[in-house]
Amino acid sequence: MHLFLTYTILGLVTGAVYGIAASGLVLTYTTSGIFNFAQGAMAMLAAFTYWQFRYGWNWPAPLALFTVIVVLAPLLGAVLYLGIMRGLRQTADVTKIVVTIGIMLGLIALAQWIWNPGVPRTDDLFFGNAAKFRVLGVYVTDHEAIALGCGVLIAVGIRLLFTSTRTGVAMRAVVDNPELLQLNGGRPQRLAAFSWALGGALAALAGILITPISGGTLDVHVLTLLVLDSIAAAMFGRLRSIWRTFGGALVLGLAGTYVLGYFPSSWSWASDFRIALPMIVLFVVLLVLPQDRLRGATLLRTRERFTVPTLRSAVTWGVILLLVVLALEQIMGTNDMGALTIGITYAIIALSLTLLTGYAGEINLAPVSFGAIATIIVFHLGLSGTGSAQRITLWGLLLGIVVTALVGGLIALPALRLRGLYLALATLAFGVFVSDMVIADIAPHVLPIFHVHFSIFPNGTLQLPPLKLGPVDLNSTKTFLTTSVCIFVLLGIGLVALRRSSYGRRLTAMKDSPAAAATLGQNLVRLKLSVFMLSAAIAGLGGVLLSAAAGSVNDTTFIIFISLALVMLTVVGGIGSVAGALMGGILAGTAFQALTATFTNLSTDAGGGGFWSVMGNLSLVAPALIGISLGRNPSGAVPQIVANYAPLWRVKAVLALGVVAEVVAYLLVLTKVMGNWWLVFATALIALALPAVGRIVRPEAFGAGPVATPGARERRAIVPTAVSVSAVEGVANARS
Amino acid sequence: MPALEVSDVCMAFGGALVLSDVSLSVPAGAVTGLIGPNGAGKTTLFNVVSGLLEPRSGRVMIEGHEVTKAGPAARARRGLARTYQRLELFTSLTVRENIQVAGEIRNTWGRRGRIDVGAETDRTIALMGLGDVAEREVSELPTARARVVEVARALMTQPRVLLLDEPASGQTEQETADFSQLLRQLVTERDLAICLVEHDVGLVMGTCELIHVLDYGEIIASGPPEQVKSDPAVVNAYLGAP
Repeated sequence: MHLFLTYTILGLVTGAVYGIAASGLVLTYTTSGIFNFAQGAMAMLAAFTYWQFRYGWNWPAPLALFTVIVVLAPLLGAVLYLGIMRGLRQTADVTKIVVTIGIMLGLIALAQWIWNPGVPRTDDLFFGNAAKFRVLGVYVTDHEAIALGCGVLIAVGIRLLFTSTRTGVAMRAVVDNPELLQLNGGRPQRLAAFSWALGGALAALAGILITPISGGTLDVHVLTLLVLDSIAAAMFGRLRSIWRTFGGALVLGLAGTYVLGYFPSSWSWASDFRIALPMIVLFVVLLVLPQDRLRGATLLRTRERFTVPTLRSAVTWGVILLLVVLALEQIMGTNDMGALTIGITYAIIALSLTLLTGYAGEINLAPVSFGAIATIIVFHLGLSGTGSAQRITLWGLLLGIVVTALVGGLIALPALRLRGLYLALATLAFGVFVSDMVIADIAPHVLPIFHVHFSIFPNGTLQLPPLKLGPVDLNSTKTFLTTSVCIFVLLGIGLVALRRSSYGRRLTAMKDSPAAAATLGQNLVRLKLSVFMLSAAIAGLGGVLLSAAAGSVNDTTFIIFISLALVMLTVVGGIGSVAGALMGGILAGTAFQALTATFTNLSTDAGGGGFWSVMGNLSLVAPALIGISLGRNPSGAVPQIVANYAPLWRVKAVLALGVVAEVVAYLLVLTKVMGNWWLVFATALIALALPAVGRIVRPEAFGAGPVATPGARERRAIVPTAVSVSAVEGVANARS
Repeated sequence: MPALEVSDVCMAFGGALVLSDVSLSVPAGAVTGLIGPNGAGKTTLFNVVSGLLEPRSGRVMIEGHEVTKAGPAARARRGLARTYQRLELFTSLTVRENIQVAGEIRNTWGRRGRIDVGAETDRTIALMGLGDVAEREVSELPTARARVVEVARALMTQPRVLLLDEPASGQTEQETADFSQLLRQLVTERDLAICLVEHDVGLVMGTCELIHVLDYGEIIASGPPEQVKSDPAVVNAYLGAP
């Protein structure tokens, strides 16, 4: 009984903190329509800032708390809304999700920059460990009592805000119809900014409260994930009801401590299970959510625009890519080739997103976790030979792909009835589950029935041999790179062909208007399931290639943040095109690592390290900054680049000149007249110069007057349509 | 047996009853009008009939088959098609592709009654007079033409019952006259049942053989145009009490 009471109180306290964080999520979602994936990272940043004030600079606790919770965190929330989120109206779900993911990754990088992760930091309980009192024979610390009290106060407070105050009622109106609210004298922007400020304060409070309870150690990733768990609680309330959100939070907190308390200690997976529990609960809650009403396109049109290349141009560009890589292989060192290979394998995983998100409009936040599943299958069942002659067999690879497709189907099945965001959350839950339970299964345990010793991820590191695809043995880095590029090109051409097929058009129809597709007789569940399985299969293939290219993989290879970064960078590149996937993969797998490594080397070698180390850290924050800027150009970088260079086709002489210059530079490098870096500089120079020269030679090809950026052109094209449609409809409605 | 039969349908949003005991029938081979003031529940009735909304009570029958519990896709396979007052075109596709993909969806239903999508697309584009814009993006079209694309798309599934939600709004007088002609041609040539929601009284009176009048969620009159026009309840609903 005594033990039960102890666990119950601990569970209630954890639940209260989950509730505080989750209510912040509900608040921002109901008023701005944006689900804030950065909530956990905001909590983490607040906990670190509090630590800095309280323990770094020895401020008194009340002052530190006030500064963080009442001043800085609300400021961050409001700035995020006014500076970034406000620009996301009329964008697709995926853009909104990716931007908050960008903020999350940015805050994580920022925290690691300011607070060197190598230095241990701990937070104490409020009033110290000794401050406690007895309730029913059980000790309760003051800190726990404060956390519980805050939870109760906030639950009641928000409920009252929503039901009894003018501001709260207006906040609920914002989401239903901001224009109407504005006509009635409300200020939707100000209300949304206010709710983001409040959400920031709640995140900060949750972060500061939970750190000492969960051991006191400040860890960037652990803290972010801890608060991310509160998503499950928010889902209990279906992102609307504050009561049910807090109810769900308490269930979550209690279940966690009871698992800790009452699962037999002989179950080696029990502690992993406790960590994974919120995500399992999230998945189950999504499973029992009632079906959403089928919606049509809620907007007249989203701002994302993707063009579909012809099959011929896809083949041409595929061949060009292959030729470029073959040429580069002649001058690159083995390490560089290895790094590029990793990038290409990421790009193959990113192709799974092109299909799923770009074509079908569904979202998968854990593509790399599907790669992990395929890798594990291949490791256990797909190897042959021993020692240095060991290889991944073709059949093993195929088995891994098939199993991953089936797992993908299983994950998607419950969420198929739901809208984009919920499917995205189901995949997030899956990704964290894979990290927490599957990859964490490192110690051998005895399998029931079979009585053999077995662990899914033996010793925490898997060594993978090279692939052998029939006659092609990929045991040299060069062959591996060439083969990966070939696979990417073939898949890319395949995807373009798919998009131009009847199946591809049906996917597009489902993305553009699920309601219209359904009333034309399209079975949406079957279509979604098939595309999700196909996409998981591609991610599985890319994952095995990634693992084989890396040689050895561990828990950090498949941590959810890698998946999130890849998703974000692929959207940055352009989720609607194969080239966007290539750009996303190379950025995620090669470019930023190379930058960081270069800057780190420079800061140690070149002396005067300060500047270079700042640059190194900047290059860690940079991807997030790019992600955050998506609101301005939601279609991604590739369409913009294409629009910039397309007019050159009409100035063939300049184009030819550029190609010749590039070839000459390459030949100079090949003959060792110049070093590799010169080729990089020359290429950048030529790339910059070509459009400029083209504009001088043939201004009319580039359009007269100032250069029309594709973004500007899009907006011009869209606004009149949108206006004309709504205007006509307005007239029609007024007339009747 | 009417092609579409709605009996005693009730529908409420929260506490507000938007359809109360609505019963109406739409026969094959004729254009049936559904008129009523704004907010009468016409679009809601279409959503209930096409399976996007589940009614609180009542029955929906398509060609004698009960479909009240069926999803939208299953109803489409029974021969139902519709257009939307708020356009629901596939904005990433061209006009031709919008029409083509409907035929391709039609061909996923099974072997029976498969169509030659290419030929049928060409035929429908010609029939609806969309030849000049076939390769354009649908989002570039003016609303009136975009509504015609919706009609063309719906026709591709070879429906038995076609629900048209304000298909002619935004059209010029001449276009409306041609459109009326086209609807008459469709119902006689294909023995199709069309249910037409439209605010253009001239179009409705000139095209429909049977008219249902919906007001505040209730059918207040049903009958041929002449009879409905002079019905006191209808006059009252449109012009207010004298």
